[in-house]
Amino acid sequence: MSGVLNMISFYLTTMKTAVVVQFQYRVSNYLYMLGMVAEPIIYLVVWTTVARAQGGAVGGITAGGFAAYYIVWTLVRNINIVFTPYGWEARIQRGQLSGQLLRPLHPIHYDLAYFAGWKFVVVFLWLPIAAVLALIFHPTLSATPTDVVAFALALACAYLIRSIFLWILGMITFWTTRVSAIFELYMALELLLSGRLLPLTLLPPWAQTISNFLPFQWTFNFPIEALIGGYSTQHLLLGLAAQLGWVVGGFAVLQLVWRAGVGRFTSVGN
Amino acid sequence: MRIFWLYFRVGVMNELQYRVNFFIQLLQALIALGVGLAGLALVFQHTTSLDGWSETELLAVVGVYTIMGGLINMAIQPNMQRLMNEVQDGTLDYALTKPADSQLIISVREVRIWQVVDIITGAVVLGVAVAQLGATIGVWEALAFAAALLMGGLLIYSFWIIATTGAFWVVRMDNILELFQGIYQSGRWPVTIYPEWLQVGLTFLIPVAFAVTVPAEALTGRLTWQTLALAGALTVALLGFARWFWRRGLRRYSGASA
Amino acid sequence: MQPTIHVVDLCKTYQVPEREEGFGAAFKSLFRRKMRAVKAVDAITLDVGQGEVVGFLGPNGAGKTTTLKMLAGLLFPTGGTVEVLGHVPFKRQRDYLRQMTLVMGNRNQLQWDIPALDSFNLNRAIYRLPTKAYRQMRDELIDLMGVSDLVHKPVRNLSLGERMKVEIIGSLLHQPKVLFLDEPTIGLDVTMQRKIRAFLAEYNQRHGATVLLTSHYMADIEALCKRVIVIHHGKLLFDGNLSDLAAQFSSYKTVSVTVEDPALDLSAYGEVITREGERITLRIPKAETSRVTSRLLGEQPILDLTIEDPPIEEVIERVFAQEAVV
Repeated sequence: MSGVLNMISFYLTTMKTAVVVQFQYRVSNYLYMLGMVAEPIIYLVVWTTVARAQGGAVGGITAGGFAAYYIVWTLVRNINIVFTPYGWEARIQRGQLSGQLLRPLHPIHYDLAYFAGWKFVVVFLWLPIAAVLALIFHPTLSATPTDVVAFALALACAYLIRSIFLWILGMITFWTTRVSAIFELYMALELLLSGRLLPLTLLPPWAQTISNFLPFQWTFNFPIEALIGGYSTQHLLLGLAAQLGWVVGGFAVLQLVWRAGVGRFTSVGN
Repeated sequence: MRIFWLYFRVGVMNELQYRVNFFIQLLQALIALGVGLAGLALVFQHTTSLDGWSETELLAVVGVYTIMGGLINMAIQPNMQRLMNEVQDGTLDYALTKPADSQLIISVREVRIWQVVDIITGAVVLGVAVAQLGATIGVWEALAFAAALLMGGLLIYSFWIIATTGAFWVVRMDNILELFQGIYQSGRWPVTIYPEWLQVGLTFLIPVAFAVTVPAEALTGRLTWQTLALAGALTVALLGFARWFWRRGLRRYSGASA
Repeated sequence: MQPTIHVVDLCKTYQVPEREEGFGAAFKSLFRRKMRAVKAVDAITLDVGQGEVVGFLGPNGAGKTTTLKMLAGLLFPTGGTVEVLGHVPFKRQRDYLRQMTLVMGNRNQLQWDIPALDSFNLNRAIYRLPTKAYRQMRDELIDLMGVSDLVHKPVRNLSLGERMKVEIIGSLLHQPKVLFLDEPTIGLDVTMQRKIRAFLAEYNQRHGATVLLTSHYMADIEALCKRVIVIHHGKLLFDGNLSDLAAQFSSYKTVSVTVEDPALDLSAYGEVITREGERITLRIPKAETSRVTSRLLGEQPILDLTIEDPPIEEVIERVFAQEAVV
């Protein structure tokens, strides 16, 4: 029991630290967020243009539907910012991992806690951006309370899934230092198959099939659609269960790779 | 010009030592291109024209976008990043004590030679697109394209000088890079699709329109001489402003460190 | 009683890539690299008892840090056995990690952007320290180091030496029984070094902790360690009292004499090292010391004569220089 209490205390302390640190860098954070907003606006404008040319809707999605999708997208994207493979590279190169290995705590807890804490600053900064976007692009959005609850849970799971998979990817640094190309490939697949570039229903059927076997859609498409897609309760529950499955499975893989990676790290010297 | 060559040669020789980077750059360029083409294909699965541009014409836009992106990453951005770091750390003095024009020096110190891969990839895509269009590119079109591309590059350069010089006043500018890269992505598509207020920003604030869309217009028979003239006037004006602003920033810098 | 640190025949061999020339080779090396074995630590055996402070000496690349990392659990030995506090370090069991600490000079474990005090609190949660014991220990260490004003400032605003001070406090909050210190005073000015030295000595006294220390600065070793271990090319050259080191390794003694006439020529008796007014210092082979001194006293007008071992730094320098020739 005291173990759990200590863990909660660790998470709270780390999250508080993250809030304090990131609030110091709020201007920097804001510039970063503004740069990020460019991405969904571009997609939104392109698809709105297509929708207009096609007589108002593409694949059943209207301009207002697209606006809702990509505005919710901005929140999902911000929640999805996690410890990146590039951070891993730096962590190993600067020798910070050594220190973390000698602490009686798995280092992933720190990353999960820190980035979760950061979210408080991010969401606070995001609210005005979302308001402005909504004023400009007129989203059509009708969500039930159930949708909102499911959305919140889906966001949490999306955060965990992306954290876990990028952590696994980052650990490749244990074996080779030239990994940027692998990272880029991963990001490219994610862009196309997650719902980040476009709602998954607009993908050709074969690509949708592929994406069903990959974790990507659970980090973008599902959380967004959970809020705006008018899913049935059953659909929502199934989706959350699938997300949970990816969290559990991903974590098992993470542990395997972590053990192998640390084994290598402690035998080749660092 | 001689200084430019000297720095260029040193930069190239440095990078040639890391030849593996060439393959990585090639792989990354191909991935980026793949994503760009996939995005294009996805959009044109649902439509036959985007604001009057056909798929092949947009392929030409992607080509110009990639070429310009390669140029920026090769020669402009690395220099500006270095400048920003030096202003932050207060180590700019080394560059300022050289007996040559300071703006020239700080603009040519870094060259990422492997970015040439992006430029070549972009040129190939552009070539394919132009061939598919089947339109005859006359001497005038070619000249207009070259002129538009050059002016686009100079405009982006001026923008960067102005933005970086801001570091003399506001020290923390790191994320301006992220901001620029995010906004530059809008160049993948012709700027005319964006709402008007955004078009204004993409034309005059961050000159993506002149860097990508206008050169692409030259090759697809859309370019009017008025646009080209506007680009020329803006280039001259922005270059001049950048120079004046740089000098002011420099005065502030020497004043502060003295 | 079981020693705190028990090491038998410890070995570590690294596989290092061999660099090849040429474009093709560079490309091939992306996938498969030729490797060469390098012995960094070669059959080291030692025991350290509870509360001992032991200095590790050796030139760069001698294997000091490698040994320290194997003891801490960051490196997996290729041969031999290590036990610290009854644990096998590389398993990194939580029970072991809670009782040890590793401090590396120039490495930063504390959060950059927040005051050290907040980082300390993070360590409290990581090490699951009871609040009361944590506060007591924290205040004791802060007081002992004399940094009560520094812990409220963001770490990034501290100087290198100040940072090291709070860094050390952060790594001792869980009251470790074993301390591994790798160059803890590197790059610091003399005052800072002295302060940190005094702090470590006091911590060792109060808490009976076992300390293993590497340092480039002889002053650190002389002030803190009765016992030193000399490693060179991965092998253990010496393990014993600091004062015996000179006796064992130096084949010379330093003889200083005071004479009336500063111009007196003594080069017939031995190599003249320094000449400061009436004081002349000679280097004389150990075996001949007694014979030469009695001759000196008998044949020359000597006012005063002292026989000393050469300075420790010089001894060590000679040890390493000789070893390199062999």
